[in-house]
Amino acid sequence: MKLVDSNHDRWHEATADDALVAVPAAEPWSLLTIAQWQAVRDAWPAGMPVGLIVPNDVDIETVVADLPRLQLVALCFPKWVDGRAYSQARLLRMRFAFGGEIRATGEVLVDMLPLMVRTGFDAALLRADQSVATARRVLGFFPEGHYQGDVNQTRPRFARPAAA
Amino acid sequence: MYRYTEFDRQFVHQRAAQFRDQLQRHLAEELPDDDFRALRLQNGWYVQRHAPMLRVAVPYGELSSRQLRALGRIAREYDSRPGGPYEDRGGGFGHLTTRQNCQYNWIALADAADVMDILADVDMHGIQTSGNCIRNITSDCFAGVAADEIVDPRPYCEILRQWSTLHPEFAFLPRKFKIAVSGTLEDRAATAWHDIGLVLKKNAAGEIGFEVRVGGGMGRTPIIGTVIREFLPWQEILVFIEAIVRVYNRYGRRDNMYKARIKILVKAEGQKFIDAVEAEFGHIREHDVDGGSQLLTDAELARVSAGFELVPEGVTPASGPRPDLFAGADEHGPAYRRWLERNVHPHRIPGYRAVTLSLKRAGLPPGDATADQMDDAAALADRFSLGELRVSHDQNLVLPWVQEGELAALWQAARGPGFATPNIGYLTDMIACPGGDLCALANARSIPIAAAINERFDDLDELHDIGDIDLHISGCINSCGHHHSGHIGILGVDKDGKEWYQVSLGGMDGSALSGGAAPGKVIGPSFAADEVPDVIEAVIETYRGQRSAAAERFIDTVKRVGLEPFKTAANGVRRATAVHS
Repeated sequence: MKLVDSNHDRWHEATADDALVAVPAAEPWSLLTIAQWQAVRDAWPAGMPVGLIVPNDVDIETVVADLPRLQLVALCFPKWVDGRAYSQARLLRMRFAFGGEIRATGEVLVDMLPLMVRTGFDAALLRADQSVATARRVLGFFPEGHYQGDVNQTRPRFARPAAA
Repeated sequence: MYRYTEFDRQFVHQRAAQFRDQLQRHLAEELPDDDFRALRLQNGWYVQRHAPMLRVAVPYGELSSRQLRALGRIAREYDSRPGGPYEDRGGGFGHLTTRQNCQYNWIALADAADVMDILADVDMHGIQTSGNCIRNITSDCFAGVAADEIVDPRPYCEILRQWSTLHPEFAFLPRKFKIAVSGTLEDRAATAWHDIGLVLKKNAAGEIGFEVRVGGGMGRTPIIGTVIREFLPWQEILVFIEAIVRVYNRYGRRDNMYKARIKILVKAEGQKFIDAVEAEFGHIREHDVDGGSQLLTDAELARVSAGFELVPEGVTPASGPRPDLFAGADEHGPAYRRWLERNVHPHRIPGYRAVTLSLKRAGLPPGDATADQMDDAAALADRFSLGELRVSHDQNLVLPWVQEGELAALWQAARGPGFATPNIGYLTDMIACPGGDLCALANARSIPIAAAINERFDDLDELHDIGDIDLHISGCINSCGHHHSGHIGILGVDKDGKEWYQVSLGGMDGSALSGGAAPGKVIGPSFAADEVPDVIEAVIETYRGQRSAAAERFIDTVKRVGLEPFKTAANGVRRATAVHS
C-alpha cells in the first residue's frame, strides 16, 4: 500500500486558480474529472499517463471502456463511513481486470487501510492528521489472513489448496 | 457445537489485539470520538446512558457452559459498579437480546480491551454486533434438536458467520444488516422480519436449498421481506448473498438514515432490485476472478458440520415406545406439570427434550441474568445438557439435550436460581429491550412497564387461561423489543419530555401460532405509563369476553373480531389521555 505524500506526487488535478478547467491542455499525470476526461479523451494522445477521479455514486461500469487508457483511478470517500468505493475498487480489480493504480482519496483514515488493501486499493492519500507509523502498524494485524476471498487471495479460505 | 480451529482462535485474538490498539489510541487522544465510534461499534461497544454498552456475539445463539461462565465472570468482575442496579445482588448482569446476543451496561471503557481478551480466550468476541455491517447471524434456538426440523441450519449459519466476518467490502454499508436462518416447519427465528431471511428446504428430489427473503425490517417502516428465490441450491448461498449485499452497498440510500435499510431499496425498486441481484449473481460467477470458487462444496459443508453431529457424543437415543411424560408428574405437584407443559419442548431424538430456563420472572427485567445466575445456568447445562445452551429469540436460555428421565431433577435444580417459572409462551414471557433506564436511544423506559405488567399478571392460573400470547415492548422506534411483531406491542414515545406508550395489536412474528408475519396496528393515541397495565388488562379482558371458546387464542380473536372492541376497552381506562369524541 503506497501512502501518497501530496508534496511529492506527480499526479495533479487540472485546475487553474483553484477552479476546474473545462477542457484541460494535454499534460501527462493529469488527474481528471469524468467531465474533463470526456472532453479530452478523443484529442489526447494514447499512451500519455492520465488518471480519472470517479465519485462514489458513479456506476463503475460506465468507465470500463476507458480503463485501457487510464494509469490511475482515484476513488472517493466523502465520509469515511461511506463504503461505496470499496465495491467500486473490488469490481475494478476482480471483474474488469484494471491493473493501474487505485487510489483512495477523501476522508481516508488509517483504520480503513486493512479493508482497502483487500478490496483493491494500492495507494491512499491519508487525511492530513493521520499517522504514517500507525498506518504501517495497523496493516500488520491478521497475519494469518481472512475467511473470504479478496483481491489478493482470490479464493475463500475453504477453497484454497492449503486450507486448514 | 462448532469447534474452533487454530485459525478461528488466532483470528478472534487478532481482533482483540486490533481493538486494543484502537482503544489505546483513543484513550491517548490520538483517535477522536468521531473516528473511534464506528470502530468500537463494530466490536460491540456503544456509549450509553451510564457507561459503554458491550454487546457480545452469541453466533446463532449457541453457547457452551464454559462460555457462559466467562460471560458470568465479565458480569462479576467488570460490570459491577457502585450505584449500578445490581450492586446488592452479587455483581453485574447480562441482558440477553432478541438477536441472541448478550449485553452489559456498566463496563468501563478503560477495561474494554481486557474484556475482549477474556472473550477471545473462550472463542467469543463482539465482532459486528453493531455498526452498519452484517450483524450476528441468528437462528432457531432449537436448531439441531427441533422435532420439526427439515435441515439443521447451524452449519450454514457458521459458514455465513465466517463469510461475513470482517468482509472487507461490506464493513460500511448504508445501514445495519441482519440475517436469520431457519430450517424447520415452524419459523422461530422471525426470518421474514430480517434484511435477509433464509429458510432451509428440501425439494422433491431431496436436495437442500434456501428460500430467500430480502428486505424485511422493523423500525419506523415495518416491512415483511419479499421472497426473491423460492429455492436456491445451498451451494450458491454465499454468491447469492454477496450479490444482494453488493447491490445494497452500491444503491442503498445514504442521505437519510431512516431510509437507509435495504427494505426501503427493495420497496422502492421492486422488480428492478430483484433483476439487479440476479444480474450481479450471474456476473460474479461468470466474470469475476475466482467468482465460482465461492460455491460451497460438500467437503466444506462436511468440515463445518463436524461439530454438529446428528447424535452428539454422550447422547443415546431411547428405543421402544416412550413413556408418557406426565405419568407420575403429579407427585411433584401442579407446578411441575405446568412446567412440563410450558418449558419442555419436543426433541428430534427419542428420549430427549429441550428445556427453557425462563428469564421472565418477578424482580428482574426480561432477559436479564446476574453473574451468579449465569454460573447456575452453566452448572445446569453441565449436569443436564452436555454443557450446551442456547439463547432464544424470546430472551430465555435453553438446554437442548435433556434426557426425559432427568426432567424432574432438572426442574428441582432450576427452581433455586429462579429458572423454573412455567410461563413460556404466556403473557409474562414478554420480549423487552433495556429501554430508557440504560439505553441512550430510548424515548421511554421498558423495564418498569414490563415489571408493572408482570406484577399485574402474577397468577399462573390466570396466565394459563389467557394462553399463548406474544407481548413485545420497545423503548423507541428502533424496535429492539420487536413491538411491531407482538400480538400486543408496546412502543415508548417521547412527548414534551414525558414518557408515553403506543399500544398496537395483531402483530405477528411469522410463527404458525401467529399465522404469518405482519406488523400490528396502533389502537389510538399513546397512553401514560401508569395507564399501561390497565390498558393491557382491558385488552386481555376484552379477549376473554370475545373469544369463541377457551381454545381460541388471543391473536385469532383479534383477527376475527377486529380492533374496535379492544380500542373501546382501552379508551375506557384512559385517565391522562381521555379521548374526546
